[in-house]
Amino acid sequence: MSADRPQHKSFPWIRTFIGTAVIGALIVLGAQVFEQQLHPVAPGEAPAPRVPGADFPMDTFDGKDVPQPINYSHKLHAGDLGINCLYCHTYARRSKVAGIPPTAKCMGCHTVVADDKPEIQKLTAMWQKGESPAWNKVNDTPDFVHFSHERHLQKFLLNNEDMNIEDAPDVCAMCHGDMNTVGVAKKMKPLTMGFCVTCHEKNNGPADCTRCHK
Amino acid sequence: MSKTKIDRRNFLKVLGLGTAGAAMAGCDMPSYVTSEEGVEKVYSYLAPEEYVIPGIGVWYASTCQQCPQACGVHGRVREGRVLKLEGNPDTATNAGKICQMGQSAIQAHFHPERIQNPTIGGKDATWDDALALIKEKASNASWVTGAVSGHQRVLMDVSREAAGNGRHYAIEAVNTRAWEDASAATLGDANPNLHIDKARAVLTIGADFLGTWGNPVQAMRDYGNFRNAPRGVLMAIEPAMSMTGANADTWVAARPGSEAAVVLGVGHVLMSKHGVSAAGMPSAASAFSAMNPAKVKDLSGVSEAQLNKIADTLMANSPSLVIANASHAAAHAAQVLNLMLGNVGQTITPGASLAAGAMAPVSGSTKDLVGFAMDANAGKIGAAIITGTNPTFLAPKGLDMSAALSKIGFKVAIADFHDETTKSCDVVLPMSSPLESWGTHVPANGAAPGTVHIQQPLMENVYANTRGLGDILLSVAQGAGAEGLDGFEDYYGYLRTAVSAMIGSDMEGDWNKVLQAGFATAASAPTAFKAGGDVALGFSEPASAGTLTLITSARQGMFDGRHANLPWLQEAPDQINKTVWDTCAELHPATAAKLGVKTGDYVSINTANGAISTRVFTYKGIHPDAVNVPMGRGHTDYGTYAENGVNPLTIMDATSGDRSSTELLSSSIAATVTPTGENRYLVRSMDLAEQHGRKLVATITADQFDRNQGGA
Repeated sequence: MSADRPQHKSFPWIRTFIGTAVIGALIVLGAQVFEQQLHPVAPGEAPAPRVPGADFPMDTFDGKDVPQPINYSHKLHAGDLGINCLYCHTYARRSKVAGIPPTAKCMGCHTVVADDKPEIQKLTAMWQKGESPAWNKVNDTPDFVHFSHERHLQKFLLNNEDMNIEDAPDVCAMCHGDMNTVGVAKKMKPLTMGFCVTCHEKNNGPADCTRCHK
Repeated sequence: MSKTKIDRRNFLKVLGLGTAGAAMAGCDMPSYVTSEEGVEKVYSYLAPEEYVIPGIGVWYASTCQQCPQACGVHGRVREGRVLKLEGNPDTATNAGKICQMGQSAIQAHFHPERIQNPTIGGKDATWDDALALIKEKASNASWVTGAVSGHQRVLMDVSREAAGNGRHYAIEAVNTRAWEDASAATLGDANPNLHIDKARAVLTIGADFLGTWGNPVQAMRDYGNFRNAPRGVLMAIEPAMSMTGANADTWVAARPGSEAAVVLGVGHVLMSKHGVSAAGMPSAASAFSAMNPAKVKDLSGVSEAQLNKIADTLMANSPSLVIANASHAAAHAAQVLNLMLGNVGQTITPGASLAAGAMAPVSGSTKDLVGFAMDANAGKIGAAIITGTNPTFLAPKGLDMSAALSKIGFKVAIADFHDETTKSCDVVLPMSSPLESWGTHVPANGAAPGTVHIQQPLMENVYANTRGLGDILLSVAQGAGAEGLDGFEDYYGYLRTAVSAMIGSDMEGDWNKVLQAGFATAASAPTAFKAGGDVALGFSEPASAGTLTLITSARQGMFDGRHANLPWLQEAPDQINKTVWDTCAELHPATAAKLGVKTGDYVSINTANGAISTRVFTYKGIHPDAVNVPMGRGHTDYGTYAENGVNPLTIMDATSGDRSSTELLSSSIAATVTPTGENRYLVRSMDLAEQHGRKLVATITADQFDRNQGGA
């Protein structure tokens, strides 16, 4: 280009534009593709809905194995022995949070039951010292999301004519997956906003932002 | 590419397009942005009560310790943590309300700068070593405290007696001492009950009962009733506007130090114009007669018309109530006015005294601050145990407090925060917060007869190695060999035994009822007013007109400076000048114009005791001869949040005049104010006094109200 020729209006920054846009797009796509736990909906693998009157997303999520202070087994207690979820998580129908059962509840049985097992002895030692196990939280929502266990159990279990209290595991499974198959705990549902909203849409749940985001 | 330098415009374009690209890329993929797993910890209860449910708060009763008034509170406890305080609706003192300082108790409780371990000579030590050292060295120790009452006072007294009768200095800069002394002299009862709600007119002379005087929470409720139909009239005489003055129908600016003369002038007009009799009080009557309106005008700048208006209003609205705290002289004159106007028995009724007098409240004063400094400087104090007060911060330079403290051989601080005083102490014992410890408190103002408020821990210690004040007092008393304390392992055991004896039952159920209520009722007897009431009335000569005088005032929030380390209260605007996080010097616009300064200009304020430099705030709610610097800020050793502002107390004068009657809060000192030439924007929550026609606050004239709203 010679200096005396009239120039077109130049866009010297356009290359930077495109470059930045491409990099931005690649970052997001890359993050999603290489996200280890990404599991698109797989209806064939998901259990059929067992809660009459409810239509909920079948998405699954392959959570990581989170090490816990005591190797408790949901499979043994809830699955094999058939103890109702609400027997231990008694706060779920009374409060926003389901809560971890108080150690006193564990010791109610384990003062006499299986007191020779090392994991039980670990718990007994903590109980005698007056300490609570520091469980690592597996199913969590961000602090700006207010989820109430009480309201959801009322709708799908307690006020649902087709359900009895023994059916609690089916209602819990809507968000927690089949806990009867896992050890301590594993995140089996994505618990994203999309997951929540899909279910709210299907079951006429409230759609105001401020119902959950307070 | 040489032209592609990134300026603001290009940067925004790149940013916008980059974001758009990222958003488009994100659109079509199921976005599983999940929360963390296994990062947060979740703990269970060990063996909770049946009614304790995670996620649902349980309210427990306790007692607020943010100021000496000891209001009853309910604390919301969830998952083992106290999250919110509200007033206990069943207490007569505060009936379900608390002030901003009470709300901030939560922040003090969880404060990261609390003392966590005992120290000896600044080095971490064990409790056993620290207590053994106190046992060894603190014989004959004097106790330096704030206002105390209840069983904490009992334990302090038995400790002192067992260890050789050291003195007890109770130091409070914000107090009602002038009023107490005047009430004791005229009525024979230092703490009579005041019924603002039953008065039809209230005249206050420097008693900021809606801000910091007495129990403001109770006064605010009474004030609400007082203003309900028929609407009571509130009048205020003070050098600088207080919260109460700002609410008054008539606000009269008096020259600092002349308040007593104005009260005498009101008495003069009542006698001469309205024929009110001072029969049986000859010495008071002669003081009133001598203070004619011309003399009042000369001393205080208050005109005869203003005196007449005040006297007329008091006459037209009976019963009335005259409250004064501006000086001892003003308070004495105010109580005589109450006697003359027939208010005693109507709006002032006898209080009650506890049968267990050892638990009665000891109200503090700055007279004790002066006494402590002088005794220490004279070498009369060998050892001191200091708790609940900060004498180094409160003491004016003239008292030479740091020299005084250095002359005390052995000093112990029982404190929850390090401050200017703990710095110079040999042993510092970390105190649990009031929300973690047991105690009993007898409210000095406005409680139902015999009420003892129970302070109950609302949660476990935030910092494991702290101990409750009561537990520390018990250990110290046991170490000193006090009798009758053997066998009590902790303060809870002691308190439970003592309260059981007080309520006459040691049943578990009755104890639980007391805890549930938040207070117990002990045996008490009503006091009786003495007859007569004649006292000699005097007044002080203020500085002559046109000379500047420095005064200081207390505001709810910083109070006497104890709350300066709480960001919530630093952030809450000053009630009068609306400043946050800083101290300013309040000046009348005319005075400011004369000095050539405006709001935001730095000035140096010089008194005989030194100089401080701070920014000016100009407004009309102050006498032109006064410069008012509110107290509470300007700490040097009270943690991260308390450094800003200046401390006017250092350049005040507590020793001049009659020491038995000068309180720091009502003292004044000649000052010169000189601009430094600097200016910086003064951060205030309300920068304009005008609404500029925006009708932010709807108003109506009294005339319109009478015609349209069915007024009288």
